[in-house]
Amino acid sequence: MSNKTDVGLKNLFVFNSLLNLKEGEELKKILYYYPITDNTDIQIKNVGLVEGIIQFTETFKPNSSVGSLHTNKTRQLYFQPEKDYWMVMTLYLPTVIKTKDNVQTVEHLENDVQDSVYEAVLKQAYFMYRLFWGTFESAKDIGTLKMTLEIFYKAYIKSLKLANSDILNIFSGIQYLPLDKQTFLKVQCFINFMELTYPMIEHTAFLYNDHLIWSGIEPSDMQVIYQYLIGTLLPANIETELQGGSMPRNAASPFAALRHGRFITGPSNLKLAKTVGKIPKVHLFSGEKQEYFLVVYRALSASVCLFIKCDVELTLDQFKELDEFINPKLISIVSDIAEYCSKQVTPSNLPDSSPRFIYFNKMNLAYKSTAHLDNKQTGNLACNKESVRIMADMRTKNPLLGYCGETIVKTMNDFWVVGKISDAREFYIALQQKNATLIDVSAEVKKLCDNELKGIFFHP
Amino acid sequence: MSELLTDYYLELSSRPVRFEAVNQLTNVFFDDSNYDVFAVRSGGVMGVVVKNAHNEEKSLNFRMEDHGPVLSIKFSLDHKVLAVQRTNNSVEFMNFNDTSIDCEYSQSCKKNSNILGFVWLHINEVAIMTDHGVELYLVIPEKKSLKHLKTLSANIQWFIWCSLNKIALLASAHGSQLQPVSFKQGSVVKLPKVETEPGRMALERDVTLATLYDVPAILILRHQSGPQTAEVHVHTLNGPGQSPIKTHILKLALSGRFAINVVDDLILVHHQASRSSQIFDIALPGESDGNVKYHTPIAPARSFRPTSLPLPGIVEDQTHICELYSPNWVVFQPNIIIDAKLGCLWHIKLCLPELCNQISDLNVCTQVALKRRDGKDVLLKVLLDNINQPKPPLDKLQESLNHINSVYRDWLEIELQNLSAAPVNASFSPKSITPPRVVIDQNDIYNEIFQKLDSNKDLRKTECLIISYMTSLSEYSIPPQHIINELLIINLARQKKFTMLQQYLQYGIISNTKALACLLLSLGNMHPSALQMALDMLARIGAKDEIQEILLSENKIISALKIAEDGANPRKFLSAASKSEDSTLLHSILVHFRNNAHFANTLKKDERLMNFVQEYNSIFNI
Repeated sequence: MSNKTDVGLKNLFVFNSLLNLKEGEELKKILYYYPITDNTDIQIKNVGLVEGIIQFTETFKPNSSVGSLHTNKTRQLYFQPEKDYWMVMTLYLPTVIKTKDNVQTVEHLENDVQDSVYEAVLKQAYFMYRLFWGTFESAKDIGTLKMTLEIFYKAYIKSLKLANSDILNIFSGIQYLPLDKQTFLKVQCFINFMELTYPMIEHTAFLYNDHLIWSGIEPSDMQVIYQYLIGTLLPANIETELQGGSMPRNAASPFAALRHGRFITGPSNLKLAKTVGKIPKVHLFSGEKQEYFLVVYRALSASVCLFIKCDVELTLDQFKELDEFINPKLISIVSDIAEYCSKQVTPSNLPDSSPRFIYFNKMNLAYKSTAHLDNKQTGNLACNKESVRIMADMRTKNPLLGYCGETIVKTMNDFWVVGKISDAREFYIALQQKNATLIDVSAEVKKLCDNELKGIFFHP
Repeated sequence: MSELLTDYYLELSSRPVRFEAVNQLTNVFFDDSNYDVFAVRSGGVMGVVVKNAHNEEKSLNFRMEDHGPVLSIKFSLDHKVLAVQRTNNSVEFMNFNDTSIDCEYSQSCKKNSNILGFVWLHINEVAIMTDHGVELYLVIPEKKSLKHLKTLSANIQWFIWCSLNKIALLASAHGSQLQPVSFKQGSVVKLPKVETEPGRMALERDVTLATLYDVPAILILRHQSGPQTAEVHVHTLNGPGQSPIKTHILKLALSGRFAINVVDDLILVHHQASRSSQIFDIALPGESDGNVKYHTPIAPARSFRPTSLPLPGIVEDQTHICELYSPNWVVFQPNIIIDAKLGCLWHIKLCLPELCNQISDLNVCTQVALKRRDGKDVLLKVLLDNINQPKPPLDKLQESLNHINSVYRDWLEIELQNLSAAPVNASFSPKSITPPRVVIDQNDIYNEIFQKLDSNKDLRKTECLIISYMTSLSEYSIPPQHIINELLIINLARQKKFTMLQQYLQYGIISNTKALACLLLSLGNMHPSALQMALDMLARIGAKDEIQEILLSENKIISALKIAEDGANPRKFLSAASKSEDSTLLHSILVHFRNNAHFANTLKKDERLMNFVQEYNSIFNI
C-alpha cells in the first residue's frame, strides 16, 4: 500500500446568498453542490460556514474578499465570479505516512498545496462554464441555472487534474507555434480568403497539434477556448482517429484517394450525415458580448476553429461547401507546417541536464515551457516538481520586485530556480548543477536568456 | 451576334492614310521598308504621289518618264534615290532631290536570270533577288552607277523580306525549302534552313517574317487536310547561329483564308470567313511536348471595331461604312492593313482594357498586361476592379500579385546590378538588359490600389489585401517598404486588432525599423501592448539610445542606466533620479557613477553635476 495520498477534491459548490434570506430554507441558495453524497444538512452547514467566514473577514479587509482558508487537513478556496455568486472548492491536503519508533503518523503536507494554483483551478472552472452557458446572471431562471450547472460540472469535475495542477494553471496561457514567416503568411491568406468568401465566419483560430498559430479572438477569451480545445475536444478526437488506425482497413481500394479532414464539431461524416448535428455555442466576453457557433475542422494535425454568427441557420450543404473549400487548401498548408516543425527542437529531445524554463507574456498570454514535456497536465515534467512549485511561490512575490527584477533560490538538493520579470513578461528557470556557485548559475542563466529571449526587450 | 461596343479589342486607326485608289490608270505600290504608299498614274507620266504611313505630312509628288509599266517602286532608306523595276532583268535608279528626278541609270542582273524583286538594305545598298540568287550592289549616286559587291547563288522561287531584322527568306521547291539569309553591311550570309516536314509546301502569302519579343521569327500558316483545323507554326531565330527553331504552335480551330499581323508582340490571326481575329501570346504558358508549346487564343475571337470614312458630299457629308475583312485587304508587317480599292491604309490598334475585359482568367490577364507597353494602368485597373467585387477572389489575386512581383524582383535586380556596376568601371556595360515593360512597385500598389479603397468601409478587406501583397513580396524575398508596413499597422489599429498586430510582429511579418517602432509607440494610448511591441522592435534592431529614452520617460531609470552602460550621460540620469524624489534611487545612481572609473572624473569636474552631489549630501547628511 502506498504511504502517500494526493491532493483530492472534498467538495465544490456554488451559491448565491441573496436567493434566500429566510431561516429554514437555506437549501434554496445552493445552486450546485458536489458531491451529492453529502446530505442536505451537511450542504447547508458547509455553505453557512463559508458565508460566515466571508462576512467575518470582510470586516477586516473590505476591499478584497477572502481567498482561502487553511486548516490542518483541508484547504478551502473562495471565488466570487459575479456579484453575490460564490464558488467554493475544498481540497484534502496530500498526506504522507511516516513511521517513527514503530508509530505511524499521518503528516499533512500543507506546503504542497499552493493557493495561487488552486485559485486558478477554481477560476478556470468558472470560465469554462461561462464559455458554454454564459454568466450565472444571464440564466433564464434559477431552475435552468441549477440544471446547466449540474450538467456542466458533472463532466467537468471528472476532468480535473488536481494533483498535476501547477504554475501553468495560473498562467492559463496559450502556446504558439514557432513558424517561419512564409508559412505563417500562407495560413493568414487561407484564413482571409475563407472569411471573405464566407462572411458568416466572424473569426477564425488555427491550431497545429497543441499549438496556436493564429487567433482572431482576443486572448482573454482565447485562453479559455484554448484550454477546452487542448484539454477536451482535440484529445477526444485524436483517440477516435487512432482507433480507426492510420490506414483504412476495409477501404474499397487501397489506391482510393485518402480523404483527410473532417468536421469534429458538426457533421463529422458528411456522406452519412442527415442533419448538421449538435454544434456547440460559445460565449465571448471581450469587447461586446457575443455568442458564436464553434465549428472545428480538423485535417492531419491542424484544427481550424470557425466562429460563426449565431443568427446563421447552418445547413448540411453549407458544411459540404465549406469542406470542399477548406480541405485542399488546408492539406497543402499543413504539409508546409509539418515540414518546418520537423526541423525544430522539442523539449523532449533536449539533453536531460539542460536547464528548463517557463516563459509567460501577460500581454498576449503566450507561454512556453521546456519544464513540461506535454501540455496535457499529465505531470510529465522534465525537472523536479519542487522547482515548478518554487516558481509559483516566486510568482506570488513578484509584485514586490516592481517592473523588473530577479529572484534566485537554491534548494537543499542542489537545484537552482531563477525567476526574472520584465514588465508583463515572466521567465523562470530551473537548473541542477552540483556544487555550483551563484556566478556559475548567473552565467548559465545569461546564456539561456541570450538564446531564448532574443527578439524581445527584457529589462537587463 | 450582338456585340457590345466594349467587346471589340481591335480597331483600325481612326484617321487612315488616304491615297488614290487603284483604277485603270493608277497603280498602287507599298514599300514595307519605308512604309511608303506609291500611287503611280499612267506609269509615272501623270505623276507619282508618295504618302508615308507613319508621317502623313511627308507627302511627295513628282513625275517620271514612262518607260513601260512599273512592277515595283521603292525609295532608298534616305529617300535620295528612287529605284523602279519595269522589266524582269533590270532595275532603274534615279537620283531624287525632294521634288524631282535628276537623272536615271540602270542596273541589269546577271544573264539568264529573272528579277523577282529588290530591297534596299542600307542607305546606299541594294539587293536584287533573282531566280538564281541574291546580287548585292552599292549605289553611288554621284557617279550615277552601281558597284557590284557580292553574289549569293541560290535557287529562288519567291522571297519575303523583313527590313527590321534585315533578314530575307528565300523559298524554293514550292516553298518546301525555306532558306533565311541575313544581310550585314556589304555582305550576305545564309542562315541554317528552316526545318519543315519534307516536301511540305508553303505559299508566299502563308509565310510571315515578324519580330516577337525582340527575336526574329518566321510564322508559317499550315493548312490541314480533312477535319483538322489550321495552325500557325512559329520558328524563332534564336538557336545557335540564328538558326530557326520551331518553338510554338498556335491552334486556330478554324480553316480557310487567314492573314497575320503582330501588334505589341501579340500575334493576330485574321480569319476572313468568320470575319474575326484571334489573338495569341507566345509568352504565355502553354501545353508543351518538350520542344514545342501549344497555344490557344488568349481571348475569344472578335471582329475589328466597325469603322467608317467621311465622304465629302455636295449637299452634306456622308460616311462610308468600311467593309471589314474585305477580299481587297492586303496585310503588311507588323500592323498595317491596306484596302487598295478604297485607297486606305490603316494601322491596327490594340485596345488593352477591352482585351483584358475579355480575358476571364485574372491570372492570364495579368500575364498579358505585364508584357504590353501600356499595360501598367490597365493592369492596376483590372486589379482594382477585382478587389472591388463583393467577394474578391483572393486566391486569383494572390497569383496575379505573384506575377507582378516576379517582374518587380527582376527589375530590382537589374537596378541593383546597374548601381553596383556603374562606378567601378564606367566603360563596362552589362549586356544591355531590357527593363521589363510593366513594373508595378510598392508605391504603385500603395497609391493605385490601397489608397483607392474605401478606408472606412473596406478596412477588413484592405487588411486581407495587404497581407496577400506582403505574402507575395515575401515569396520573392522583397522586403516590404515603410509605407506598406505602416499601412498594415494603422489598418489594424483602426480596427482595434492589437492582438493580431502582436501576432504579425511575433512572426516577423512587419519589418523592424525605428520609424515603425515610433509609430507603435504612438499607439500606446490605444492599447497597453503597443509599448511592449515598440520596445521589442527597438531591441531587435539594437537601438539602445531609443530604448534608453523610452525607459527614462517611463521612469525606469535603473534599467535605462543598465542599457546605457558606459555611454550614459550622468546629468540626464541624475536629473531623472532627482526628479523622481526617490532618495534611494538617487543614491544608487550617484554611487554607480562614483564607483565607475569612466564617470568618476566627470563627476568631479563637471560643475553642472555639483547640484546633484549637493542634493545627495543634504539628503544623506554628509
